[in-house]
Amino acid sequence: MTARSLSRLEFLYALAVCAYPRSFREAHAAAMRQVFRDALADNDFPRLRFLLIALRDFATSLLKEHLAMMRDTLTRPALAFNALVLAGIATVLALFLYAIPQQVLRQGANDPQLQLAGDLAGKLEDGATPAEAVPATKVDMARSLAPFVNLYDDQGHPLLSQGVLNGATPAPPKGVFDYLRSHAEDRVTWQMWNGPHRVRIAAVVLRVQRVGDSGPGFVLAGRSLVQVEAREEQVRQMAALAWIAMLGMILLGAIGFGWWTRKAA
Amino acid sequence: MPNGTIPAAPLSPAVLALLLSLAESDKHGYQMMKDARSPQGGGLQLGPGTLYGSLDRMMRDGLVKESGISDDERRRYYRLTRQGRTVLTAELERLDAAMRSARAQGLIPQRGRS
Repeated sequence: MTARSLSRLEFLYALAVCAYPRSFREAHAAAMRQVFRDALADNDFPRLRFLLIALRDFATSLLKEHLAMMRDTLTRPALAFNALVLAGIATVLALFLYAIPQQVLRQGANDPQLQLAGDLAGKLEDGATPAEAVPATKVDMARSLAPFVNLYDDQGHPLLSQGVLNGATPAPPKGVFDYLRSHAEDRVTWQMWNGPHRVRIAAVVLRVQRVGDSGPGFVLAGRSLVQVEAREEQVRQMAALAWIAMLGMILLGAIGFGWWTRKAA
Repeated sequence: MPNGTIPAAPLSPAVLALLLSLAESDKHGYQMMKDARSPQGGGLQLGPGTLYGSLDRMMRDGLVKESGISDDERRRYYRLTRQGRTVLTAELERLDAAMRSARAQGLIPQRGRS
């Protein structure tokens, strides 16, 4: 190996040393370059072997020193505390980012049913028979997104229904009807199983004093929550992305600020 | 202790090799690298980054310090501190106990009696 090649290698190593963190470089760069020169000048130590060792050492120690610098930076109490506080705020913000639209979507899912249930109750109170008040078209609750109305007697047994599941009229949990004996209206998420598939319905239930000739009863208006849940999932994913982005920015900010204040110190 | 805490046993091979090297006398970087490479030093192939990274942490832990004496301004000599010697002794005793245990279990041959 010629003197020129050696000097090139030293130059390359001097350049490589610039990649170490600033504080480490300032403390040890000259000494590291000297060790590199000493090793190349040592005739008892094969140069190629040393160069391979130096290359591997550069890769591992560079990573190690940068990680050590990052650990030192991020474990500074004030910086770590501020970053943790910001991360907490970001987490709360992300929760709100999810919870508020989710509630708006879920509550909004009741709007058509409120109107349908109110109209149906009005017709029944005005003396319409169930057959006149309830549309004849059937709605498959597992597949259709269309709103539907069902009528139940005072015991909660189906009288006439538009919404069906597997050809039958399912009844909501008895607790819904019990609640309505002392309240005018209930808004519930009604969950059923269609084989292995879950069916969720946004339902508005009203108590009516008259269901044809059957005396008091209940009006239920519902519709599938499939679309609303798909939108809720989109909101959840967007909130999660926003949360990750905020945490990433906080981390980068903490590293950047830590690096800048170290440099200024 | 200047800034750090006393390193708990076991020490990393690099730290042990550097402490062993400096136990003999004050040395500069390449001398320590050569000592570490020798069979007595542990046969470790240290590069300049690992060498000075380890020395940096050892200085912070108060195990070594710069001697302040140099025959060449580009070379820095390092010296073992009292703390460094204590840590080295503790580590060697730990290794010695492990060796005795290994011999007792027949994992390595018994030393001949002189």
